[in-house]
Amino acid sequence: MKNKEPILTCIKLNKSFGPTHAVNDISFTLNQGDIFGLVGENGAGKSTLIKIIGGECIPDSGNLFYKGSEVKWTKSFQALKNKIAIVHQEPLLVSSLSAVDNIFLGKESTKGIFIDEENILKKTRLLLKKYPIYPELILDEQIDKLSIDERVIIEILKALSYEPNILILDEPTASLPKKSSEILLKLLEDQSKEKNITFIYISHKLEEAIELCNKIMVMRNGKKIGILEKEEIDKNLLIKMMINQDLTQFYPKKSENIGNTILQVENLSSRTLKNINIKVKAGEIVGLYGLLGAGMNEIALSIFGINDFKEGTLFVDGEKLHKVEVLDMINRGVYLIPPDKHKFSLFDSFTLDENITIAHLYEIFPKFLMSKIKENKIAEKQAAKFNIKYRNINQLINELSGGNQQKIILARWLFKECNLLILVDPTVGIDIGAKREIYNLLRNLTSSKKGVLIVSSEINEIVGISDKIYTMRRGEITAELKKDEITQENILKNIL
Amino acid sequence: MKKMDNKKNFSINLAELIKNRELFIAFILLIIFFSVLSDSFLTTSNITNILLTTSIGGVLALGLAFVMMSGDFDLSFASAVGLLNLISIILIDKGLILWIVFPMVILAGILWAYFNSLLVIKLGIHAFIATIATSTIAKGFIYWISKGATYYGNYPKSLSIIGRGTIGVFPISSIIFITIAIITILLANHSKFGRHIYAVGNNSEAAEYVGIDSKKVRMISYLLEGCFIGIAAIILSSKLCSAPSAAGEGFMMTVIASAFLGATVFKPGVVNVGGSILAIFFLTIIENGLIMLNVPFYFKYLVQGLVIIGAVAFISLKGRKNEGPPLI
Repeated sequence: MKNKEPILTCIKLNKSFGPTHAVNDISFTLNQGDIFGLVGENGAGKSTLIKIIGGECIPDSGNLFYKGSEVKWTKSFQALKNKIAIVHQEPLLVSSLSAVDNIFLGKESTKGIFIDEENILKKTRLLLKKYPIYPELILDEQIDKLSIDERVIIEILKALSYEPNILILDEPTASLPKKSSEILLKLLEDQSKEKNITFIYISHKLEEAIELCNKIMVMRNGKKIGILEKEEIDKNLLIKMMINQDLTQFYPKKSENIGNTILQVENLSSRTLKNINIKVKAGEIVGLYGLLGAGMNEIALSIFGINDFKEGTLFVDGEKLHKVEVLDMINRGVYLIPPDKHKFSLFDSFTLDENITIAHLYEIFPKFLMSKIKENKIAEKQAAKFNIKYRNINQLINELSGGNQQKIILARWLFKECNLLILVDPTVGIDIGAKREIYNLLRNLTSSKKGVLIVSSEINEIVGISDKIYTMRRGEITAELKKDEITQENILKNIL
Repeated sequence: MKKMDNKKNFSINLAELIKNRELFIAFILLIIFFSVLSDSFLTTSNITNILLTTSIGGVLALGLAFVMMSGDFDLSFASAVGLLNLISIILIDKGLILWIVFPMVILAGILWAYFNSLLVIKLGIHAFIATIATSTIAKGFIYWISKGATYYGNYPKSLSIIGRGTIGVFPISSIIFITIAIITILLANHSKFGRHIYAVGNNSEAAEYVGIDSKKVRMISYLLEGCFIGIAAIILSSKLCSAPSAAGEGFMMTVIASAFLGATVFKPGVVNVGGSILAIFFLTIIENGLIMLNVPFYFKYLVQGLVIIGAVAFISLKGRKNEGPPLI
């Protein structure tokens, strides 16, 4: 008979990163032997929550009770010592060590001061026998020579070697071949029944979670939306709970006037992309949506000439391009606003005006020498046009808020008439007001016969703003959705 | 009420005026300090002397500034100047005419920098390691050719006018330096290419996204430095009329210190041409002033070391960037 005693209780956990409330008043209880599913969109706060439980992240407030007494982890090894282990989405392994050495890293058997390699190897074989997820694993191979799914397996074995009471798995099957994931899921089920191990299981593969878990918690924007017990679990209900539907009027009206094709991508293939065909027409906002790593960013970067691609043809305004290069794209009026503005867009030792003029220096200053007065004037005009709040046009860019920095980048590119604007996650980390201004700005662009291609990891945003959506899964386009077909349910169906 | 405003405005203006110009104020205070303490400091002969000392290091500092502005580094310039000095002395000794020797030396400087840039940019070797290695190679060549002794060629006295001659108070070498400095300031701070260099040095990835070819910009920065190394070597050979084995070594620390010290002023946290020029004068005046005050020569090294630490600490304490100016 199952021993259904509570093992972990969270009460009103909170964690914020700057303005983002990643975990907002989350409370729940786990019993021994539970397989507890955690679902939600990208950025719903799942990863932060499990990091709090696993001691990798200290909550701002709230209590954590483990085996009946309150615990306050300040380091992850404290949780590990108490047999709570996390398997991360991205394997955290030492790439220069072998598979075996990684599994027993930090708890190596020793002979005197030397590591007892033989003993470790023996222990690993035992571990593999006990948990036969992937028996053909080559144990003494160096990590960087292994494939991604082998690395995930090693990460899982490493966690299992601690013999945990609670094992937290962050999308363990995302990159596993079907056979391995089936074995893994079966193993989880057996372990929970036989050994009473409790699992917390994050997955975007809803079917998997529905079949495996006996409880599923849905999160959205850091909040707990609800917990479904085994008999209540239903896919449509889960999807409805995952997405937020009352934000439609937040976005500008959809386009009615669609013109000629501005950009056509034909059979684009690269290391990560397979046979991509997309079209962006004048007057429309086209959205690209998929799970993290499905290839949307790669498409954007390939079009702009940052990433190389193996095969494929690009047409801009009907003209076939023989070579795709950044400068040529800029001259054709195709601009890209990359994600992570601090990494890819902002020059933090530059002043506001210098940040605005940098992409069009040659048009602004046709003569050899640049005039600071002219630069200030032009930048002030642009800043006013984009409603940027600043103190002095000669102040440094990092003194502005995130929203205003993003508007500086828009002002930089839209100084000159654009033809097609490509944006990747343009509204990450900026406030609602600035978001709305950016949406309206994009709509104004399309009203004046420009095209917009937007990649976003926020499904609400993609649904709210796009006139057409391409959904992606593992480097491939899975569907082209238009008008009434654009619903969150439809999108999720095509990306999971 | 209005008066109050004026007073407030005045103090704000003063703060704005001082902001990012601390080194400039320190520079003026330093001159006053030495003038008061030493009678011989503010004499025409000493001013000429200071200008003369600054010119070679100054040209090298301008070159290093370009390389550091684009985010790279060079430790080989001192040995390279020594090697080029030796080459120009030999060529003139062999009887080649001036108008062939000078362009050849400049070209050799550019080739030298091109070699460095290939190692750093094409092969991706860390700039520190690559240029320490090339610096050692240059030293090897110097000792090989000169057998470790000072090489005395038959250097015509008429040519030494470049390194030693003056027009009034102004040394000719100093006029060359100031001319180059003005061109460099225009190129770096007022031209589109200069803006591109700063952009690459600040965020080379973001530079690629606005259509700047980062690698090309970095390479051109190295080549400009090479050109300046050549010019510095010409002035040096004309000044020394000989080629001691360690001819270039004396410039090493002063020039590197000037880059870091210069990064405290005008554009804090960023190596910049204006700052480097001010800093090289600052450092030379400290050195010269200490001599005027009869302080033993080794204090110069203590001061140089402390200046580098002080400059970098100043920048990081100012919080513009956590790690001070970009090292590589």
